[in-house]
Amino acid sequence: MSGSVATADTAFRVAEHLKRASAPWDVFGERITTHEIHFGPRGIELLRGPIVLEGYGLRLLRSRDGKIGVGYQASTDASVDGVASTLEAAESVSRYSAFPAKDVTLPTGTGTGAPRPEITDPAVWADAPRALANYTSALFAAFQNRPGIGLSFGSVKTRKTEVTMANSSGLSAGYGHTRVELEVAVKSSGGAEGAPPGEYWVTAFDRRLDATPLPRLADDWSRYASDARRAKAPPGGEHAVVLPPSVLEAILPASLGYKLSGRAELREMAPAIGSTVGAPQVTLEDDGTLPWAFGSSPLDDEGTPQRRRTLIRNGVTTELLYDALHGSALNHASTGSAFRGGFASLSSGGSSFGSAPGPSCTTLTIPGGDGGSDEELIEAAGEGIWVQQLGWASPDGLTTMFGGEIRIGYRIRHGKLAEPVRGGTLGGLVLAGPNTPSLLANVAGIGSRATLTGHVSVPTLLVRPMTLGGDEVATSAA
Amino acid sequence: MLNLRDHEAELDRALGRLGQRSKFAEILAQGSQGVVVNVDTKSHRASALPRVAGAVMRAWAGDRWVEAAASGFDQPTLDRAVDSLERELAASTSNGSPPGESSTTVGSRIQRPARPMSEMSVEQIVDLAQDYFRWTSAVPGVKNAQSSVGWWDDERFYLNTAGARCHHVAHRVRGGVVAITFENGKSEFDYTAQGGLGGAELLDAFTEQQAQDVAHSALELLHAPAPPTGTMSVLLDNGTTGTFAHESFGHGTEADQFVRDRSYLKPRLGEQLGPEALTIWDDGSVPGGWGSVAFDDEGHPGEKTMLIDHGRFVGALHDRDSAAALGAKATGNTRRSDFLSRAYVRMTNICIEPGDMSMEELLEEAGNGVVLEHWTSGMEDPLGGQMQLKVQRGHRIENGKLGGVVTSMALSGSVLSFLKDIRGIGKLNHPMEIETGFCGKGHGDYLPTGDGGPYLLSRAVVGPA
Repeated sequence: MSGSVATADTAFRVAEHLKRASAPWDVFGERITTHEIHFGPRGIELLRGPIVLEGYGLRLLRSRDGKIGVGYQASTDASVDGVASTLEAAESVSRYSAFPAKDVTLPTGTGTGAPRPEITDPAVWADAPRALANYTSALFAAFQNRPGIGLSFGSVKTRKTEVTMANSSGLSAGYGHTRVELEVAVKSSGGAEGAPPGEYWVTAFDRRLDATPLPRLADDWSRYASDARRAKAPPGGEHAVVLPPSVLEAILPASLGYKLSGRAELREMAPAIGSTVGAPQVTLEDDGTLPWAFGSSPLDDEGTPQRRRTLIRNGVTTELLYDALHGSALNHASTGSAFRGGFASLSSGGSSFGSAPGPSCTTLTIPGGDGGSDEELIEAAGEGIWVQQLGWASPDGLTTMFGGEIRIGYRIRHGKLAEPVRGGTLGGLVLAGPNTPSLLANVAGIGSRATLTGHVSVPTLLVRPMTLGGDEVATSAA
Repeated sequence: MLNLRDHEAELDRALGRLGQRSKFAEILAQGSQGVVVNVDTKSHRASALPRVAGAVMRAWAGDRWVEAAASGFDQPTLDRAVDSLERELAASTSNGSPPGESSTTVGSRIQRPARPMSEMSVEQIVDLAQDYFRWTSAVPGVKNAQSSVGWWDDERFYLNTAGARCHHVAHRVRGGVVAITFENGKSEFDYTAQGGLGGAELLDAFTEQQAQDVAHSALELLHAPAPPTGTMSVLLDNGTTGTFAHESFGHGTEADQFVRDRSYLKPRLGEQLGPEALTIWDDGSVPGGWGSVAFDDEGHPGEKTMLIDHGRFVGALHDRDSAAALGAKATGNTRRSDFLSRAYVRMTNICIEPGDMSMEELLEEAGNGVVLEHWTSGMEDPLGGQMQLKVQRGHRIENGKLGGVVTSMALSGSVLSFLKDIRGIGKLNHPMEIETGFCGKGHGDYLPTGDGGPYLLSRAVVGPA
């Protein structure tokens, strides 16, 4: 796709000035152009854009006393003086860092043999304001003529990012991608029932502005907002729980991205290869090449081609995620899993260059199983809870614990969805050793069809049991 | 310091162009820099924080705001942003006036810490982080530890067409440790951190004993049982009380949500929501407070706003838009994460005033239940008024006495019920400590916010987390 070719040259311009660097280096550049529409109940409140952020992160890898001194500095100043200042800062901090690897093998080439997953929306790439306006019109139209239903708050954001990478081993590569963020609060109010208003507040991440599913989503979201008005707190205790992909997206990547990586292995916190961590039917992959996935790209952030990695097969750990640095420390090749997070002082720029790369997951996938449709999983649950949304899953990468309030869900009675529930806390471990209950170990049913949402492509899961803190006076507290 | 005023002429020129096309325009130039050092069992890493700077411009287009931003101050970069806004302004068919009052504040507040972190060498910061790490990891049984020491300077220069011109620099410092334990496939951790607006002097109070307490706590959690679940008496520790004030209550007082009819608190203004002893305020002028602001990002000085006064809900937090819509005044709470982010009504430092009950009295009043300690996260529900708080550990309360340690748990339930059910507010034997947190508005736009409070006794649903 021609639109996915980076036209910015940030990293290449910076690399021109790094000839005098005293140690191996790599530089990751981005030029990000953002457009946003923010709206409230009375329509558009704010138009933003273009918001242009261009910057780079420079990493030095200095060998010293059998270790690597890693120096990292990011900047938006790509002038000759700016690069010199950035290099000086990176050299300064590299003298005070020590990572347990003797040397690091950096990728080479131009990335021409790398996979080319579809990650660029041509309409956003070519004319983001127009694409954004058309999408927002379709969004507003989808919520028209719905008595008692309205959009109380939200935004649609598009980001066009041109990535360039270079290093001292000769890497010179680049690509482009688009990202889309939708945040919507759907409110249900009025009517004869006199109940307080209800809300379904959702955030969705995608690679493209696709208005096609909006009418169906508006139906679903309006129903959840209305059901929240009459929902009651669920009972506490152990339940069969059915978790759709949107809930698993809130739990799995943040809980497992660290635990199944070389970063955790280095600190003896990762499960051993060959150890059982899930039910026999659980297979978990990390796929950086999935079309239209938020985490897909031709190359990771060090320039290693992306691929698919099988982390857990039939409940047994088979592979972990490595970047070049952790791979070197652990005598393992990079798995193309070097990625960069955001940073607190620049939270909304959508940038990656502000932080050094480390091993992490892209899109976690679970292949479809033999559990059938959502209705069949609900029938298999018999009695239990369908969780539609958690307030915040609070996933913890160190322990893999999660726990969040049920914002909207449904009781399952006699194998059918029944009355809505809201409140109470669902939680537990995602991954644990043998004989310790966990979400992956207690998977009792896997739906037949995986759905891509955010950083997962997974089917609905039936988990039995899970613990729910609900609206009952606790006897065990006495 | 980035010396953003060095770019004043270019910013003035851009503002002048916008002023010719709009009834009101403003520019916020912002930049940040810093250093953070992380030490753990396998490595130590000094990281220079990104040197990022740029400007965001906002203009009134007759019936809505329009914005553009760029990461740079050179004339061509600023001109491109102005050009795009001029096109938006030219396309507008409305000639309305901007809502609310425009700030005319002129001021400069350059914070000068007693011992600026920027004057410490990287080596000195590494030494400090290694001390923290050593104190934590030396406790037998701790398998891994992480320490972190960092500083972060945030410089902002605001100017508008009404004449406001506010320049301020905030120096933030933060240090802390995490102790990690694991056994038979089970992992646990505990943490402590402290910091604020200031310099290295804020870290002097961080002691070896604090680090060792965290290590012992992580060890204790390995063998601790899960908490009881269900509705029960809950006693929140200081930090968890502050998190409740912020996440569960405070977000509902952000009046931009009033304007959208998206706050469960809006219809309650003026009502008695809690006991007479309950007072909650937000204050952006707390000296050294993590969330303090000399000026907000509309040019209003940071100030104290009473939210609940002796149990009565009396006030909300406003920007110029919400103040205009609701007949109030702006309260110095308009904040942007950075020049790339939009402005929202945000909290600064939100705190619950201490009461007069001792710990023994609070436990006796609780009877049976749990103490929630060491908050890790919270989530707001501005329309629904539900709460969600997560803590890393706690204790049982059994027959009015402190019982055994329990592992992490989450709190949920109705905020209004929680406020109504408050039946104990602890005393503080020291000045209010402002916790160092980061807050998002919804699912993004993180910025530093502080909170604090005493031990607080009420009733809520406890569940696993």
